[in-house]
Amino acid sequence: MLSLLICLPVIGSALLFALPEKYVRLGALTVSGLSLLWTAWLFTQYDMTDLGFQFTEHLTWLPALGLNYTLGLDGLGLLMVGLNAFLGWIAIYTTAADVERPKLFYALMLIVSGAVAGAFLAQNFLLFFFFYEVELVPLYLLISIWGGEKRGYAATKFLLYTALSGALILAGALGMVWLGEAANFDYETLTQIDLSVSYQVLLLVPLLFGFGIKIPLIPLHTWLPDTYVESSTPVAILLGGVLAKLGTYGLLRFGFSLLSDGWQVLAPGLAVWGSITVIYGALVAIAQQDIKRMVAYSSIGHMGFILLGAAAGNTLSLSGSIAQMASHGVILAILFALVGIIEKKVGTRELSALNGLMNPIRGLPVISALLVMGGMASAGIPGLINFAAEFIVFQGSFRQFPAQTLICVIGTGLTAVYFVILLNRTCFGRLDNERAYFPKVTIGEKMPAYVLAVVIVVLGLQPGWLLRWGEPTAVRIIIPTTKVEAATEQPAIASLSPEVLLQ
Amino acid sequence: MTATLIKPTLPPSTHPFADIIHRLEAGGSMLPDTPENLKQIIGIYKAYAVPMDFYWRDLLYIGEQVFLNPLPFFKYFISKEYLQRPNDYACANCSPLILRGEAVVHPELMYFIEKGEAGRKLPKIMHHLWHGRVNMEFAEACMRSMFWHKDINPRFNDYLYTDTYKAAADKAIRAYFKRNPVMMGLYKLFPEMFLEKVRELSYYANLGLFWEVMAPVFFEMSDIYDEGGFAGVPDAMDFLVNGIFAVAGRPIYHHAYINGECFEIIPKSAGFTWLYEAALPYVEAIFYRTAPFRGTKSYNAQAKQVPAEQQNFHYGILYADLFPVGSAGIPPTLLMQDMTHFLPDYLLETYQEHGRGEDDLLNQVGVTFQRSMYNVTSAVIQALRCALLYPLDDTNPEHLKANREFFEQNLDRFTRPEARLKEIQKQKYR
Repeated sequence: MLSLLICLPVIGSALLFALPEKYVRLGALTVSGLSLLWTAWLFTQYDMTDLGFQFTEHLTWLPALGLNYTLGLDGLGLLMVGLNAFLGWIAIYTTAADVERPKLFYALMLIVSGAVAGAFLAQNFLLFFFFYEVELVPLYLLISIWGGEKRGYAATKFLLYTALSGALILAGALGMVWLGEAANFDYETLTQIDLSVSYQVLLLVPLLFGFGIKIPLIPLHTWLPDTYVESSTPVAILLGGVLAKLGTYGLLRFGFSLLSDGWQVLAPGLAVWGSITVIYGALVAIAQQDIKRMVAYSSIGHMGFILLGAAAGNTLSLSGSIAQMASHGVILAILFALVGIIEKKVGTRELSALNGLMNPIRGLPVISALLVMGGMASAGIPGLINFAAEFIVFQGSFRQFPAQTLICVIGTGLTAVYFVILLNRTCFGRLDNERAYFPKVTIGEKMPAYVLAVVIVVLGLQPGWLLRWGEPTAVRIIIPTTKVEAATEQPAIASLSPEVLLQ
Repeated sequence: MTATLIKPTLPPSTHPFADIIHRLEAGGSMLPDTPENLKQIIGIYKAYAVPMDFYWRDLLYIGEQVFLNPLPFFKYFISKEYLQRPNDYACANCSPLILRGEAVVHPELMYFIEKGEAGRKLPKIMHHLWHGRVNMEFAEACMRSMFWHKDINPRFNDYLYTDTYKAAADKAIRAYFKRNPVMMGLYKLFPEMFLEKVRELSYYANLGLFWEVMAPVFFEMSDIYDEGGFAGVPDAMDFLVNGIFAVAGRPIYHHAYINGECFEIIPKSAGFTWLYEAALPYVEAIFYRTAPFRGTKSYNAQAKQVPAEQQNFHYGILYADLFPVGSAGIPPTLLMQDMTHFLPDYLLETYQEHGRGEDDLLNQVGVTFQRSMYNVTSAVIQALRCALLYPLDDTNPEHLKANREFFEQNLDRFTRPEARLKEIQKQKYR
């Protein structure tokens, strides 16, 4: 059942080469759409009362290596798989109709989507690592072939950083199995190992740095602005919207969940790390002159909230972090989609050259309006998707880390600052007569942004629909597997349930 | 291209717009002579003339019939008499014959008044509320601009404060409010307020009489172009120059009709003429100055974004930034909206091929209007040069120098950063 989410895009990507070129886009959209529909069906079948993994699949693959083909879904995984399928379809839809070498492009996009789904579904650490590495190659090609002016540099930097990230994660995984004397890399097996706190701290270090590169956390972030900026719009949507979540997902699934005692030791430092990431991302975003780079740094800042929530480690903060992962993905996707349209129509991303796009006739008024909404959503304005997620992270983390939380609250204020700068310079002011001959934005070009905007508003008005998926996982990963039953009975955690809070 | 009419006996101009100065000296226009420019300006003259045919009728209707109606809700619903009023300057009404063509209301205007944008007969009020109407707000903004920039029409303006004028106005006011004791009481309490209102109505008449001439001029230009009559932009400008001189001496007056009796508030015998008391003040007030209009761009007077001196106002169509809709001095959107209903097919096709076609039609119409008004301004400058200075083919270097100084002085006003003279030199500006 879950394998279909991996197989469908991979087989689909192969079939694209058999299609005539004019049908390739339609074919890719169909394959991606089927994955999305299948994911939607999984959402309908998911049992909220069952805190364990559902739809599990197991196949012994290489017992000598401890590598098993074990798939499963909990709330966190389901939400991430949903995000991947949704943004994968959006990214393919956003692709320009005249993209060069369309067969290869769409095939690579589908392979990335399939590999990322595999990583989110894998319940074997080595299998996770396998999928984590598999998506690297198609992404490298997507950046280096269809990227911007400095695509070669950006792609190489991305490859080196992510390869190093993979190596550190593999080191962590191997260390966990060897030191814990586990029989294999299966998640269920790893939850049973008993490691001393010092070993846990030791193993968390490579995992934190490995996943920290992917997220990215400062100072491991230097690959991100170049990569995001040089990537084409659909690839940037995948990178920012989905790929970055592999880092936070891995950290929660294999770091926090499996090495919880060590995590508690490092938690205050992680909270500081998260808050510094938030402030740094926001301040550097303020200084940017390129709107795509500004969005890229905004992404870094917002990932800090997720780390803060994870560091606090209670049900509430974790639920917020999980919701933040989804909201961050959707917001980043709409921002990259809009920035991509602006760049395509106006021919520049420079703040100094952009102005007056809100002009009702000669500007890009709808795109500007959506950009205003995206900026507001990113700044955590109530009624939009990010508000509930950020609020719950703060609510959950304030008890443990009040200072770090307050710093992050300031970070949300700074988010508003750079978005006001962006919107003020880009959308408002006088349209420059020299360059105000932009082509019209077609309804097809606007469609992805419309869809994302609807999601942002609907989940902003009804945040329970987003938060409900993360809560069971939050409970589960605090005290994994066998202790789940006991954990759900704890009144202290249950009283902090976001469902309760939002009523 | 325009043939050079004079042998260059002067050194080249060092003015920032030297090329344009040389073009004017050669008998050309500020607008470059290209077939595209000719097509655009003639097309827009036609599209402008149709609503203008309504503007002048309604302005005269308001000045002469609505007069001081304290609740002038229906001032834009002109009477049949004024809608059918023969144009005094067209056809056989004009002696000597200046302009050919019919003197009656333009058929496209009649069709639009009857069927509006909806293209079907509806009660007038429905057309009005659904904007299927000619927007008189533009015409009134022009009138107010002429009224407000008093220094540009000194003779006419001074007359409005003479005892003769006051007496005539007083007579008309008393006749109008004869059966209205409330308004008569107010008149006794605030006589200056009523007099000022009558002065404004005199400007209604002034502008109405000015446009009564311009509408058939533009119609005829369109007809000549359709017959292949104009060889280039200078030809079109020359037609305007000749037209200006032909009707220069026509009287400007203000008559009010109260209960069928004519009150000559400004009689024809006052000696005000079309060129000096209407055309020249109109160009200065509307093309150059007007007033800041709060459209999508707002002006902050306290932040000194609005000049303290009226002569420093430069918000007219020659300076208007038409890209942010509604930011120019006059409300150009309403005029452009009016013109879009009457665009000739060839111009509509041009707009479809550029920019965003239908979607930015108002902008494209606005830019074309700006081009056409630069041509009209060129005609005025050439007419003034003709009246005050020397022929372009004069052989006396001193005379040519005087002509050049005159042209340079006029073009100095376009060295301001807001002026669009530079832009209209490029065909890309649309």
